[in-house]
Amino acid sequence: MTTPPAGDRTRWLPEPEALRLLADYSLPVIAHRLATTPEEAAQAARDLGCPVVLKVVSPEIPHKSDVGGVRLNVATPEDAAAAFTAIQTQVTSHVSRFTLHGILVAKMAAPGTEVIVGMVRDPQFGPAVMVGLGGIFVELYKDVAFRLPPLTPAEARAMLGELKAAPLLTGYRGQPPRDVDALAACACTVARIAAEHPEIQEIDLNPIIVRERGCMIVDAKILVHE
Amino acid sequence: MLHRAGVVLAAGHPLRIMSHSLDSIFCPRSVAVIGASAAPEKFGYIILKNILEAGFAGSVYPVNPKATEILGRPCTQSIADLPPGVDLAVIIIPARAVPQAVADCGQRGIKAAIIISGGFAESGEAGAALQREVVEAARRSGVRVVGPNCQGVNNPHHGLCASWPLLTEQGEIAVISQSGTVGAALMDWASQERLGCSAFVSLGNRCDVDETDLIDYLAQDANTRAIAAYLEGVKDLARFREVVSRCGKPIVILKSGRTVEGRRAAESHTRSLAGRDELYTALFRQLRIHRADSLEDLYDAAKALAYLPKPGGRRILTITSSGGSGILATDWAEWSGLQVAALPGPVAEALRGLLPAHCIIANPLDLTGDGTAALYRKVVEATAPHFDYQVIIFGDPILQAADVVTPGAPQLVIFLGGAEVERQERARMHQKKVPVFPTPERGIRALARLFAFDGMAV
Repeated sequence: MTTPPAGDRTRWLPEPEALRLLADYSLPVIAHRLATTPEEAAQAARDLGCPVVLKVVSPEIPHKSDVGGVRLNVATPEDAAAAFTAIQTQVTSHVSRFTLHGILVAKMAAPGTEVIVGMVRDPQFGPAVMVGLGGIFVELYKDVAFRLPPLTPAEARAMLGELKAAPLLTGYRGQPPRDVDALAACACTVARIAAEHPEIQEIDLNPIIVRERGCMIVDAKILVHE
Repeated sequence: MLHRAGVVLAAGHPLRIMSHSLDSIFCPRSVAVIGASAAPEKFGYIILKNILEAGFAGSVYPVNPKATEILGRPCTQSIADLPPGVDLAVIIIPARAVPQAVADCGQRGIKAAIIISGGFAESGEAGAALQREVVEAARRSGVRVVGPNCQGVNNPHHGLCASWPLLTEQGEIAVISQSGTVGAALMDWASQERLGCSAFVSLGNRCDVDETDLIDYLAQDANTRAIAAYLEGVKDLARFREVVSRCGKPIVILKSGRTVEGRRAAESHTRSLAGRDELYTALFRQLRIHRADSLEDLYDAAKALAYLPKPGGRRILTITSSGGSGILATDWAEWSGLQVAALPGPVAEALRGLLPAHCIIANPLDLTGDGTAALYRKVVEATAPHFDYQVIIFGDPILQAADVVTPGAPQLVIFLGGAEVERQERARMHQKKVPVFPTPERGIRALARLFAFDGMAV
């Protein structure tokens, strides 16, 4: 778990709340439902259309996959109901006490290039927006670039241009170019959220899947100061 | 003379409300040395001597209650006894007496003080309290303060060396440094090479005047074409961003302390990757500030940014008398994103008629061991229209090399292996405002600075 600076009271927003906040800013978030029973999970899968992904929603469990709290590529509503139960059992075996808000059922995103857009609030610099490539491997590659808001679309593109892996966005070895404008717009919106929500300390949108047209936020973490 | 009009009034900065522009620091009419000393090992002696020997045109007043005369100048007993018209005081007295001295300066109508003395915030809580008293005294009396705990100010264009060592070579690079020695080293190199500086300011504890004030001032200074700074941190980020974004002159900064400060283990990837250094990198990139990796890099970048014209493109031709140097230049050019393009066929053909048979007509174009200024000139003239930049490497003691190059032309000059001839020709080129670099690596990397912010966006 994070150890926030002494005297600070921070908490991670439950993912449905985080996604709602992003959607309120017209950011493209993956279609999802919160299920509290296996039956609701099956219904959500039916409504959203399979395949779906199931993720545990609990303030005590930020690293969901480390404790078996995530099921990818769930193919049918019946499998979704079973996955609900399996996640509950598995997480209970890893974490002795936790508050279960429910299990998020989200549509599996179509493939594309995985990037991260993030924000941190630094005591000296104020908010800083980050973009990077590599999805879950971002800390390994450290191929990231920062900017201090306000952020213009042109500067957001300059920031993406700094990445060593920028060719993955512009069309590498026959791959189609990705929608850099949509991604740059996401980064600008994150900068705006930072300006308008001083209580937000950190944002990780990771991954955002960038496609030929548009991009999709698949996972969102937002740390707020209370 | 530095040219600057008006009074700086910055809202939200109480220290500045009563203050004057920094002209009194850079271009004072006359100067008082508070704590002037007759002991040659003391800064009170060294600074007075440097001010006198640098050719300062105004009056210089040593202030010392116990001496009657120092270095042939009659001493004034106290600040209150100074005649009118003193704009600048250089203060070199024990820390505990400095707050009163600053107040006295204000009382006497002195507009600025450079506090050399140490024993302030750098030395613990008692010193920090004294520094607050200095700030208070300065604020009340409207005196602008450089320092304390600094190595002074040098403006060669005004004959003002209120600093050490004694350096007087005039140039176009302004040096701002949070370390006195690091800044002085830069100015020393520039002076030794006869390239010179437009100004040197040692920031010290920067209790009042900081890097942002200086960038703001130097942006308007007619002698300054590029600003080089050594900083351990930016004091006021918001004002720095605002001032730098309208500065209009190239800035290069060596920011030290690049280790993992500010980075910490965290649950979000963004937090764990956002160390202080990454945020400085972001700040500098978005303000189009060049970031230097070392002191030499800072110097080279400043030279390039102040004196080299902006290229139209990246196609370079290397003209050399040293094969090895030509290959090294080519390696660095490739790594730095420059294009080593082939010589157009007709140009190569024409050169074959002009040059001795053993010259290698390619890119690099190697005149080999007996390259002369005359041969260089022929090649430079014939090829100039076909490339964006010429990289001219003098790899031997080539007499009259300085006659080959043209100030303001897209030519990067590298000179090595030329011993005494090299030193003479380099000084001649520097006096023509053509910068000369000592190795292919340093020259090419400096040239690449001019492209650093081109085509950044994906």
